[in-house]
Amino acid sequence: MDDYLVSVVSNIGIISFVALSAYLLLLTGEISFGQQAFFAIGAYAAGIATAMWGWPLPLAIAWGAAAGAACAVTLGIPTLRLRGLQFAIATLAFAEMVRILFELWRYQIDIDGEPVGPNGTDGFRNIRYVFDHNIEAFDFMMLIYAVLAVTLGSFMLLERSRLGVIFRMIGEDATLASLQGIAVARYKVFAAGIAGALAAVGGGLYAHLTTYVEPRTFDVMLGVHSLAYGLIGGLGTALGPLLGVVIDVGLLESVRLFAGYRMIIFGGLVALLLIVRPRGLLDERLVHGIGRLFRNAKSGTTRTGRGPP
Amino acid sequence: MLDLQGIAKHFGGVRAVDGVDLTVKRGEILGLIGPNGSGKSTIVNLVSGLFPLTSGRILFNGDDISDLPSHARVGLGIARTFQNIRLFGQLSVWQNLWVAQNSRLQRQEMFFKRWFGGSAGVQAEIGRTLEFFDLAHKRDELAANLSFGEQRRLEFARAISARPNLLLLDEPAAGMNAEEVDQLDARIRKMRDEGFTVLLIEHHVELVMSVADRIAVLNFGRKIAEGPPAAVQDDAAVREAYLGTR
Amino acid sequence: MRTIVCTLVAIAALLAGYPQAAHGQVRAKAAVTCVSAGQVLEYDCTIKLANARSGEPLSGLTVSVGADMPSMPGMHNVRRVKATEQAEKGAYHVRLELEMHGDWAVHIDLRGAVRDRVVAMLRFEEAEVTDVKPSPSRRGH
Repeated sequence: MDDYLVSVVSNIGIISFVALSAYLLLLTGEISFGQQAFFAIGAYAAGIATAMWGWPLPLAIAWGAAAGAACAVTLGIPTLRLRGLQFAIATLAFAEMVRILFELWRYQIDIDGEPVGPNGTDGFRNIRYVFDHNIEAFDFMMLIYAVLAVTLGSFMLLERSRLGVIFRMIGEDATLASLQGIAVARYKVFAAGIAGALAAVGGGLYAHLTTYVEPRTFDVMLGVHSLAYGLIGGLGTALGPLLGVVIDVGLLESVRLFAGYRMIIFGGLVALLLIVRPRGLLDERLVHGIGRLFRNAKSGTTRTGRGPP
Repeated sequence: MLDLQGIAKHFGGVRAVDGVDLTVKRGEILGLIGPNGSGKSTIVNLVSGLFPLTSGRILFNGDDISDLPSHARVGLGIARTFQNIRLFGQLSVWQNLWVAQNSRLQRQEMFFKRWFGGSAGVQAEIGRTLEFFDLAHKRDELAANLSFGEQRRLEFARAISARPNLLLLDEPAAGMNAEEVDQLDARIRKMRDEGFTVLLIEHHVELVMSVADRIAVLNFGRKIAEGPPAAVQDDAAVREAYLGTR
Repeated sequence: MRTIVCTLVAIAALLAGYPQAAHGQVRAKAAVTCVSAGQVLEYDCTIKLANARSGEPLSGLTVSVGADMPSMPGMHNVRRVKATEQAEKGAYHVRLELEMHGDWAVHIDLRGAVRDRVVAMLRFEEAEVTDVKPSPSRRGH
């Protein structure tokens, strides 16, 4: 694989975490414009842990995820009582607040004669873990995808589990869900916590991939994109948001012709898809249809298996 | 079992329910009838906890549940259906029943089986419920793809899956043809035989007269009559409310 | 219980097999100057690499240069280009093709005797390229 491919594929992997984070909230029927805040929290927390405290990377990523989850739960408890648009605006406001706090925040220590740490708008440079440990770009990409594979596997399990069914119930009709005995608020906060942790894992990996972050990175642009990935890719399966990321970062990116017009094309694509397929390319019906094909195929083989020799 | 004590619900100036006392006894089918806008559905919504009460108290098995959130009321065994069908259209038929299911079987399950639906016992129980409502062949279909009649039956099945102590049926016969109403009649009777307690809100007077043990009549948010079907049918106030004669 | 033990064992294994930090590495610093190469969105950049500690120029390295936009993380991937070493010690030249005007983070990756990444923030505009020096006045963009 050449360097370019490795960097594109790594980026796809990292953005996928934020997309999955927004997707999880979409499942429970909430639109969040603020997942980039948890991406930022994860990036700073993990970056501080390796660059300033000398922690190993896995521990730093886990700590970032915990910080993201804790912030998401803290935010979720008051805001998830809000409905629809109000919740969306509250998350947006929170994300901007986090970004501005990072613009003001300075916390630097001296390492090898150089100041290291978040430095306001200048950002947080020299998160050099990957270089200090001689990890090749390709290996780091594999690390990203290993974590992503575990996450995706958990999502697949979630979709089949009672928890996944409960999330979808809340997303479709929260009142009806509460009449099935589901404590809606508690599950929503739980979903927000997992979503926060996911975005934070992505942020932690991102900080170590690029070696620097700055508050601008966590602009609302990222939040809007991550939301759009689920909406274009489809809400029927966790592969939906990944498809969205691949379409945007992979496909549109590789067609150099679009270059600077890419965002315009992307915006048009989102608008078009929302009209034609309101629940995305891989929506529930399609996923269910594919699932049925598999079931039929399986029962078909058992039938022929039972046939006369 | 269910005791409504002077419950009232006002929406702004509109007194949808205005001081109703009503008791549902264990094992009986209480029919609640009344003209459009008389407050029947509001009572179901109050009992299931969708709206807070303006005044009054709701007792269930002697405990005051007026301030409990709706999911906690479900936990006590109060299940309901909706006048306009409400299903989880993007979930399959059996998944619609799975979460509602509230059997002892499920409570005893191990974590993994409970959350991943692996247990044969739970699946068998879902199968039996689907069989009872003639939906077994649609088990893996998305609820949104069912026909109208099937959706009604699924909604009913979901309410039953909760093994409720008290079942609130909000106009289950709405939009049904004569044959379907007969089937519904038979199902409700069978449920009484199995020991369910039912509060049946219905427009279809014949159905209520046929299955209910007692009937209460509402008009303009107040109870105007209560008693066995025959007595209610002959009540002057009820005739006036329905026919508008004075 | 068993799951907890398994998790602990897995974490321990991960930590044991973990790459150890190489200390005393040379860190690089870079001075980057870019000018428009005539074509729109094409820029000629000169990179002067030096040892961050001693200030000694770093020559004989394999240098590749990429860029992304901090305001859109991971969404613009500029193909990495190899820089060519110049006659002057520690100087390298590279031609960048960007996707749009604006603030870019230029990643300079070094291989060879020194392995490091230096990031330079530059604002690429039609006519000129300036260093991005964030100041309080830029806040709130």
